[in-house]
Amino acid sequence: MVEMRDVSVVYSGGVDALHNVNLKINDGDFAFVVGPSGAGKSTMIKLILKEINPSSGTVFVNGYHLGKLKRRQVPALRRTIGFVFQDFRLIPSMTVYENIAFVLRVIDAPTQYIKKRVAYVIDLVGLQDKAKNYPNELSGGEMQRVAIARALVNDPQLIIADEPTGNIDPELSYEIVDLLREINECGTTILMVTHEHSLVRYFGGRIITIQQGRIVFDEVVGGNLIHES
Amino acid sequence: MKVSGLKYLAGQGVENIWKNRMMAFASFCVLLVSLLLVGVATLFYINISSMVGGIEDKNEIIVYLNEDTTEEQISVLKGQLSQIDNVADVNFYSKEESFEDLKASMNDYQMLFDSLGDDNPLVDAYRLRVKDIDRIEDTIVQIETLDHIYSIRAPMDFVNLLMELRRIITVVCSVIIVALIIISVVIIANTTKASVFARRSEIQIMKYVGATNAFIRIPFFVEGMVTGFLAGCVAFVITWVSYDSLVNLVTQQTDIVSVIGRNSIMSFGQVAGIVAVAYIGIGVLFGALGSVLSMRKHLNV
Repeated sequence: MVEMRDVSVVYSGGVDALHNVNLKINDGDFAFVVGPSGAGKSTMIKLILKEINPSSGTVFVNGYHLGKLKRRQVPALRRTIGFVFQDFRLIPSMTVYENIAFVLRVIDAPTQYIKKRVAYVIDLVGLQDKAKNYPNELSGGEMQRVAIARALVNDPQLIIADEPTGNIDPELSYEIVDLLREINECGTTILMVTHEHSLVRYFGGRIITIQQGRIVFDEVVGGNLIHES
Repeated sequence: MKVSGLKYLAGQGVENIWKNRMMAFASFCVLLVSLLLVGVATLFYINISSMVGGIEDKNEIIVYLNEDTTEEQISVLKGQLSQIDNVADVNFYSKEESFEDLKASMNDYQMLFDSLGDDNPLVDAYRLRVKDIDRIEDTIVQIETLDHIYSIRAPMDFVNLLMELRRIITVVCSVIIVALIIISVVIIANTTKASVFARRSEIQIMKYVGATNAFIRIPFFVEGMVTGFLAGCVAFVITWVSYDSLVNLVTQQTDIVSVIGRNSIMSFGQVAGIVAVAYIGIGVLFGALGSVLSMRKHLNV
């Protein structure tokens, strides 16, 4: 669950990144956030991660009131969220297996559980053969699937995907979003930021459009399920 | 945190050394060179002061006694001299002995002594050594207050020269050692900063998946400690080998040894314990601190 109430963010240079945003994404939702670059999409994500604090307004994420959250409680918040980034952000010195297992080591999970759970999610994203490979040995689509497996392994309430298809081949983009939708069907809330309108039109669903720091549309649209090329 | 968690993190620290071996090797070399520079400079200083100490031990004050002093008075005087707290030892030097020594040293002028016959023109004396030559002037003043003393001869020029020498050595060596320590700290800080900078995105990712600062820091800490430990060990071995061969070289020069005394050159065995502890202790400390301090700012994500 993500809720923003009258949230504004003004950066120190005077840049008005978000202006009076009100937004509620319920548990189990799948929402696209679209808008041109500089519209405030990244700022929104940084707010949810508590990487920055709003200049005014309040943010709630997975039951945490972020304004009241202390610095040392931030790791606990982030453990309830899975991330998928445009640039994958895998740790280059760790294998696929270790990259995914790391999330569970952070929460001090028992070794036996780590083994079982990591094998399960690697299976889910179809990378059984690549578990021992390093990220630089994988294709863009494979790296993004590792990132999704990593986002998933801790069974988070919310997954944030920031332009997850930005660095991979267009055909593979549909696979990635399909994977995210399957995860969503199991109950995980998904917030996907993108600027690929064709993808959004294809899948449909809840679409939140931001422009110049304001939410201009928040609508539910039916998908046409027709590939545009 | 559970033991298995700590074991994992410590293992990661060791593994990271291999994974980042180029940077780890750079840190290792910088630590090694720094330790060697400071260590060798310190050992050099210790030996030089010990050698000056060896020369100082050869100081000698000669106290000449009045000609009419009785034997009883002579032995009382010995007690009085020994009681002066700066006096290390007191030896009687009879006029016969000094006459023989004089004859021996003037072998070419035998005829001079022939004309003297059995007449000995010299007087009895005490030769004494002081513990601390810095206080030699006070000691002479104390000796002067005693009875039956004809004159006192002390090598004041020699003493002043030694004191000056020791002062210069101490100042020069301290400046060099302090300068080396400062240079080392700056270089170590920069190397670890570069090494951590290369891995800043890794740190960021860890923060994003909810790792606490301690969880991220421990592997860096272990990594720095292990690198520092290895640098300390290698520095110890290098110092040992080169020190021993240098000592052998110096002790073969018999004229040097005769001036400074064999004992004033420290053998490596005398300093090995402290050198090992200092090298490894400082290596581990600087390795760990350098690594943890330079990653600190990357943790604020």
